[in-house]
Amino acid sequence: MAARKPFTDSDTSDEAVRATCDDATTCKRFATSKGYWKDPYIQYFARSVGERKAPEINRGYYARVQGVNHLLDAFIRKAECNCQVINVGAGLDTTFWRLKDENLMPRKFFEIDFPTVVARKIHNIKTKPPLSKPLIETHSTDSLLLDAHSLDSDRYCIIGADLRDISNLDEKLKKFQLNPELPTLLLSECVLVYMTPSQSSNLVHWAAETFHTAMFINYEQVNMSDRFGQVMIENLQRRQCTLAGVEACQSLDTQKERFLKTGWEHADALDMMTIYSMLPQDDVARIERLEFLDERELLQQLLQHYSICWATKDKLNLGNYEWI
Amino acid sequence: MAEGDTEAEQLKEKANKFFKEKDYENAIKYYSEAVDLNPSNAIYYSNRSLAYLRTECYGYALADATKALEIDKNYIKGYYRRATSNMALGKFKAALKDYETVVRVRPNDKDARMKYQECNKIVKQKAFERAIASDEIKKSVVDSLDIENMTIEDDYVGPKLEDGKVTLTFMKEMMDWFKDQKKLHRKCAYQILVQVKDLLSKLPSLVEITLKETEKITICGDTHGQYYDLLNIFKLNGLPSETNPYLFNGDFVDRGSFSLEVILTLFGFKLLYPDNFHLLRGNHETDNMNQMYGFEGEVKAKYTAQMFQLFSEVFQWLPLAQCINSKVLIMHGGLFSEDGVTLEDLRKIDRNRQPPDSGPMCDLLWSDPQPQNGRSISKRGVSCQFGPDVTERFLEQNKLDFIVRSHEVKAEGYEVTHSGKCITVFSAPNYCDQMGNKGAYIHLRGSDLKPEFHQFTAVPHPNVKPMAYANTLMQLGMM
Repeated sequence: MAARKPFTDSDTSDEAVRATCDDATTCKRFATSKGYWKDPYIQYFARSVGERKAPEINRGYYARVQGVNHLLDAFIRKAECNCQVINVGAGLDTTFWRLKDENLMPRKFFEIDFPTVVARKIHNIKTKPPLSKPLIETHSTDSLLLDAHSLDSDRYCIIGADLRDISNLDEKLKKFQLNPELPTLLLSECVLVYMTPSQSSNLVHWAAETFHTAMFINYEQVNMSDRFGQVMIENLQRRQCTLAGVEACQSLDTQKERFLKTGWEHADALDMMTIYSMLPQDDVARIERLEFLDERELLQQLLQHYSICWATKDKLNLGNYEWI
Repeated sequence: MAEGDTEAEQLKEKANKFFKEKDYENAIKYYSEAVDLNPSNAIYYSNRSLAYLRTECYGYALADATKALEIDKNYIKGYYRRATSNMALGKFKAALKDYETVVRVRPNDKDARMKYQECNKIVKQKAFERAIASDEIKKSVVDSLDIENMTIEDDYVGPKLEDGKVTLTFMKEMMDWFKDQKKLHRKCAYQILVQVKDLLSKLPSLVEITLKETEKITICGDTHGQYYDLLNIFKLNGLPSETNPYLFNGDFVDRGSFSLEVILTLFGFKLLYPDNFHLLRGNHETDNMNQMYGFEGEVKAKYTAQMFQLFSEVFQWLPLAQCINSKVLIMHGGLFSEDGVTLEDLRKIDRNRQPPDSGPMCDLLWSDPQPQNGRSISKRGVSCQFGPDVTERFLEQNKLDFIVRSHEVKAEGYEVTHSGKCITVFSAPNYCDQMGNKGAYIHLRGSDLKPEFHQFTAVPHPNVKPMAYANTLMQLGMM
């Protein structure tokens, strides 16, 4: 095997990035335990409900999950499930099981993350029937293709890979029957920001080159040049977590730019404050009653510093993705 | 009778028919049409009121009964309806008054008499319950403590009270001890709490002080468990003393990870300089907030649930407002949901409790100023927002110059609004390790009572593993 080019700048940095999947998982675990939204599978990835999280964090995750799911589900419906989904940097995400329960499964659902994260996820799936059973149900044979860092089945494939190594990524996806002809949705949640702008640029460019009909949904920080953004960067730095790609997070425009200049035809972006106000308001009212928030300014600042950007390439003319 | 009236009467008859058939929705519909045609007929309102009662729309029923009586104050059925509505709404005293009227006018009406007696019984029962509630001495944690016999182990080398008293030496030692993230012995903590509870309970709900010409005071806003920033305030502005008085305007705990260190320091100084160190209650000096935002978790982790209980009791005795030279009023939240509140009203507040959902005590801890005139429903869902005209009227009525409050994070640490009559001061810089805001404190001199603002920025603090809640460094946002 050819020698691997060293991609990681520092192991500590990568380790810190990997650890963020635990943050997301424990926050989602706590929020779902409080009733913000339903996720019967997250408990198999985070044993205990864990320490209390601040209400603004719970509401922030609610907005993220609702917002991303709205776009994701709309795409799958538009394609009438005749599509693929690739979740890059998926961590311990439970979307596959949700889509199966809701009969919204794409032809194949791919997830990619660092090999050690994937190994953990596969271990959980192997050892917990509520996770493995649905998977086996969607598979044509009795056994899944499992090794230390990958799992492949007819409808669900989890790959351990470094997103900064595009050729390796491309190779692995093709090996597991990625079909470039199918409309494909790529999803990244707080992933691109941990790579340098050129690394993430390569990734989104590869996606634009590979698929003729696709959507890329990117959830991450925005408006980072103000005081709040600076404080966040400093805080994360203290945890050895470098926001290497924060340059693209300056504004909604910079978020869109990174797609428009890498071969994507169209891009839209909204900050989470806007998205929060566009979510079904009766459900928002419901979740706001779950926990009393003592300082609204905290939620506002948080929501204004995250955004969802979605870029499209639409050869098949699947149509626009309306927010309503 | 005018043509409209005849038609209205027909609609009423129609409605009555529906009512007899128990079709209350339609009854209401046609009574309403009758009212539209003839809005000065008490009977229509009264009948509709009864239909509303049957459909449990007690608020509407009350409104209609009241309207009926406005039109015709001799309409006995109207009193009946209003009494029934009030009963349903739990307003027994109001209901009793109306039943009294009916019984007086119709002494032979058995049903009226029966309802009156029942209502009377309820009113008496409630009065009795209130009476015994205030007589009953709620058991205090203090009673179950035996502080004298708590022993301090030999290997404890931390600060101890001297002869059971807080001294300046003790305070300095304790602040250093805390700075090194060490724990105060629980006996000392209990001693402080019991003594400060006693001290605070003797204060009025509105504390009034005089600042002499040559004196000044430093007013700080929310500190929210940010101990290292509190130490920085003392560094910048000097330690508290008889000649360096301070007032901390509530929200000492929660959110920040060092709430215990903050509150024990503040309580210690209160004991050391009772007349020159002032503490007012904030909305976070309450059980609900402490349960959610970290303080309860922190106390339970470092000490015990019993100690948290005692903190809760002490918080209940914190005064709610302070008046300086009869000119400047200070409170954590703000002004009131209704006009006409006087300083005398504030003095009279029975504060040894958790704040109610509404009323002056609630407003003092929760309200916020707004730029536009008038009042609005609060974004917080509790209390209200009050405009410059409300501030103006309140100050005028009470012969004050301006108010100082806290409660809201401000980028610059302070904000002057309502043409200088409403000042906000917030002393927790980089709030929650996220907001990047400055903190501020106010110097007020007895000579001119003109506020002087001092800003400061956050200082580093240890990367403490979060307590049960205030998960500051860990929760940096979405990951």
